[in-house]
Amino acid sequence: MIRRIVVMTQPRRLLNWLIPGIFFLAWLVVSETGLAPPYLLPHPKDVLATASSYLFGDVGQAAYAGRFFEDLTASTTRVLLGFGLAVIAGIPLGVLSGRLALVNHLLSTTINALRAVPGISWLPLAMVWFGIGIKTTVFLVALAAFFPIYLNAEAGARQVSPTLLQAGAMMGVRRLRGTFAILLPAAMPSIITGLRLGMGISWAYLVLGELTGVTNGLGALIMDARMLGRIDIIVVGIILIALIGRLCDVGLHYALRLSFKSARRIP
Amino acid sequence: MKPRLQIISAEHRSAASPVVLDVEQVSKRFVTNGSGDITVLQNISFTVRRGEFICILGRSGCGKSTLLNILAGFMPPSAGVVRLNGRPAGHPGPDRCVVFQEDALFAWLTVKENIAFGLKGRAMTRREKEREVDRFLSLVGLTDFADYLPAEISGGMKQRVSLARVLILQPEILLMDEPFAALDAQTREEMQDLLLRLWSELSHTIVFVTHDVGEAALLADRVLLFDRAPGRIKEEIRIALPRPRQKEDDGYYALCRSITAKIKAL
Ligand SMILES: Nc1ncnc2c1ncn2[C@@H]1O[C@H](COP(=O)(O)OP(=O)(O)OP(=O)(O)O)[C@@H](O)[C@H]1O
Ligand SMILES: [Mg+2]
Repeated sequence: MIRRIVVMTQPRRLLNWLIPGIFFLAWLVVSETGLAPPYLLPHPKDVLATASSYLFGDVGQAAYAGRFFEDLTASTTRVLLGFGLAVIAGIPLGVLSGRLALVNHLLSTTINALRAVPGISWLPLAMVWFGIGIKTTVFLVALAAFFPIYLNAEAGARQVSPTLLQAGAMMGVRRLRGTFAILLPAAMPSIITGLRLGMGISWAYLVLGELTGVTNGLGALIMDARMLGRIDIIVVGIILIALIGRLCDVGLHYALRLSFKSARRIP
Repeated sequence: MKPRLQIISAEHRSAASPVVLDVEQVSKRFVTNGSGDITVLQNISFTVRRGEFICILGRSGCGKSTLLNILAGFMPPSAGVVRLNGRPAGHPGPDRCVVFQEDALFAWLTVKENIAFGLKGRAMTRREKEREVDRFLSLVGLTDFADYLPAEISGGMKQRVSLARVLILQPEILLMDEPFAALDAQTREEMQDLLLRLWSELSHTIVFVTHDVGEAALLADRVLLFDRAPGRIKEEIRIALPRPRQKEDDGYYALCRSITAKIKAL
């Protein structure tokens, strides 16, 4: 039953765009007044023109023209592969470690030590291991997204009230069904938090992974533009990554709500 | 002043029916961090006959929840045996169902789905299950709230759901751990009436934990009065007041006074 649809009123929806709107206005003002010279911050209308050429132009028409869909496909594939790997490893390991002291002892020292290593330190090693290309990027994304997913799944599983599991046991629920029918739904709010953090960090590490060696992708675009001094392209790249990151977050949110009662019905 | 205890059906019921639950010399010790072991329960023995309503009455911390957890199979006793229909009661299961002291509903399931939860995997058709769920929804007066989530209903309603989701499984014995303690006085009275009505309709066997003398005197055929540190049965009080009992009755009032006096003397 759907009784808890929150109807977003128009003014509230607008509120979501208030801060981006203010940023844009400020940008317009400093550009128009010449407060920020174009070589530091290009004018919005130039950025818009660059964006439109990058998104919709014909390939070869100008530098970067029409490259967007190739870059988008390449980057999204890498993010989804890396994020997917992180989910496949992070949720089961996190839940197990939250419930079983043995698994926790086995994993927690290692994982918390590795977690302290900044992602960028893995880059040179990943390049030695996987060479230049998609594998390095996917590895970095998976590694970075794993920690928030694992840690939140662990905390969520640990905090599930023993009474809920006892209630299941007395109603004849065995271990395996209890895991899927009680433990995971009860831990769902934490798991969702982990997934959203993981998705966000995936995009951050995607750019890191694409900074060297690959020819396509949004990270490669930004790096390439920096070498050529095309600051307008850098700005376009940043804005696009922000938009796509936000879209992925919303998409994840809806996909979870569509797939799981416990995600749909968070009080 | 002792109330005159005579007559009636409770007496009759307990004498004739077979023993469902047999608790024999049950003790429980906990190993604690600081002060070594503590004995929470010591040599608890009693039996419950089919259809009986037993109240375990005792002050906070005397081990009532611990005993109920052992009866339910959630933890093993340190010594002694719990038998259900003559056989050692092992793992928890739908033959011994608990209504918990705190809210233990599944927050992501509606009232209806919570009540249907234990029926999953039973050899019944979908139709039969739906009919059973509807029957129990109406027995606890929640038909209009079938599609609400636990977060959207009151504390009293939650306990009605907790009751319905276990009654639907037709347990051999119903274990209730201060189920109404967190409710306001009026709701508590409604729930007590509801419980008594369901009990007379469905004739369950009930072990009901409470620290409220009035509640025990209202509900029980027998009261097991618990002493503290270590928890043990101090006295067994058979209540023969005719049902339905009225809180305004002199007999009821006198009974409450005498039990209260016994507790104070502990
Ligand atoms: N797992 C445990 N480890 C150590 N001590 C425990 C444990 N569980 C309960 N106890 C102790 O056992 C005693 C009885 O606890 P229990 O919860 O059974 O009391 P109770 O009679 O249900 O109290 P209340 O009326 O407040 O619910 C308490 O002193 C408590 O500290
Ligand atoms: Mg208790």
